[in-house]
Amino acid sequence: MTTQIVLLLLWGTVVGLDLVSVGQSMFSRPLVAATVAGVVLGDPMAGATVGAILELFALDVLPIGAVRYPDYGVGAVAAAATAAHAPGALGTGIAVCVGLAVAYIGERGMRLVRLGNTADVRRFRNALDGGGVQAVVAIHTRGFFRDALRSLVVTALGLVLAFGVYRWSPVTLQGAVLVTVVVTGAALGSAAGGVMHAVGHGAGLRWFGFGLAGGLLWVVLT
Amino acid sequence: MTPGLTQTWIRTLVVQASFNYDRLVGVGTAFAIEPLLRHLPGGADGNRFKGAMQRATQFFNAHPYMVGLAVGAVAKAEHEGLPDGAIRRLRHALIGPLGSIGDRLIWAGVLPASAGIGLVVTAVVSPVAGVLVFLGLFNGVHLALRTWALREGWRLGTGVSQALTARGIQRGLSLVGPVAALCVGLALPVVGSWLARGFTSWTQLSVAAVALVAIVFSRWIVPTFGGLRFGLAAAAIALVVGWAA
Repeated sequence: MTTQIVLLLLWGTVVGLDLVSVGQSMFSRPLVAATVAGVVLGDPMAGATVGAILELFALDVLPIGAVRYPDYGVGAVAAAATAAHAPGALGTGIAVCVGLAVAYIGERGMRLVRLGNTADVRRFRNALDGGGVQAVVAIHTRGFFRDALRSLVVTALGLVLAFGVYRWSPVTLQGAVLVTVVVTGAALGSAAGGVMHAVGHGAGLRWFGFGLAGGLLWVVLT
Repeated sequence: MTPGLTQTWIRTLVVQASFNYDRLVGVGTAFAIEPLLRHLPGGADGNRFKGAMQRATQFFNAHPYMVGLAVGAVAKAEHEGLPDGAIRRLRHALIGPLGSIGDRLIWAGVLPASAGIGLVVTAVVSPVAGVLVFLGLFNGVHLALRTWALREGWRLGTGVSQALTARGIQRGLSLVGPVAALCVGLALPVVGSWLARGFTSWTQLSVAAVALVAIVFSRWIVPTFGGLRFGLAAAAIALVVGWAA
């Protein structure tokens, strides 16, 4: 159990750093983050299920320019921890709620990191404007560790929330099914609405329609 | 790649670690370009190096995968001894195109396309296969783009605009949007069906009904609300109803 918690904290930190600061190699995508967390917890299917739902929510977001975006990766780690070993689809909806809440907290935390970086840039302004390498390295290193700390803290909060929800589930059996239905539908709709918004009215929308038709055909035939 | 280019390539991976509201990725760009500037005449203690580093720390923004084009081109311009004003103009001229092309190519194209395919493989084959396919597809393009960008920036210097108008980039921009739309469109019913496995017909219809409401809400009623906030609002309502049930 302790090993699993340590591994989840490490994975959450890696995932949080991947969101913006290091690589952006998409380890922070919910599908990846939650499936790996599920493997750590011995329930990859539960991880993949909540990861797929959160991935659909994440498809609505275009991380463009200086925009702040939800930290779905760390949220997905917390969601997988909530869903792991829960019976069937009962834990899925509640777990996704945990994931969404943690993603929101991660987003707010990112603003604090950027404000901290901005304060550093102002503090070292003279050294930067004098071409000082040490100031560049100092600001960059501090920014890295600030984001690592954010990721670790948000992951820890997420795991505490997951444990609390797992231990004292706030809804009845019927309620859990209702929550699962609502978040699954909301995720599918958000992804579809986001893509329709992104592609506009031209050829992109037609290709989206072709894809939908192909997917529906696949579902009907299999 | 030369040792300086290799070090710079590695540093471009963390170019956004010091993202801030004053200079955006200016400091990160300076961190990345520094290995290429060490060999300027006078070395790391010389005036040319300090002047180049001072320029490099100023306001800058670009897509993180395309930033290598700017880093390579500016480093080459510094080595060629271009005047201060010309280098500043080069940096400013690259901000818009590098952001726009990177966002369209990656965030609105390769990412949703890879995610769509990854989701389909997760549903049809296995979760681990889905993750591997997603990461493989995305990072194949991602790492190739980073490498190409830095090499081309360093090779072309002030002529870096040739790289932005290259046939491969332009063709990629025209193809990637429709491919992404197709892949996400394909993924939605397949993943929806997979997520609703084991549900009764009525429950599956309920999922579809909520999805339709979400499409109408996110597409036409409040398009700026975002998936996260819509999801949180929907989940909060469901939790209250579920708690009372």
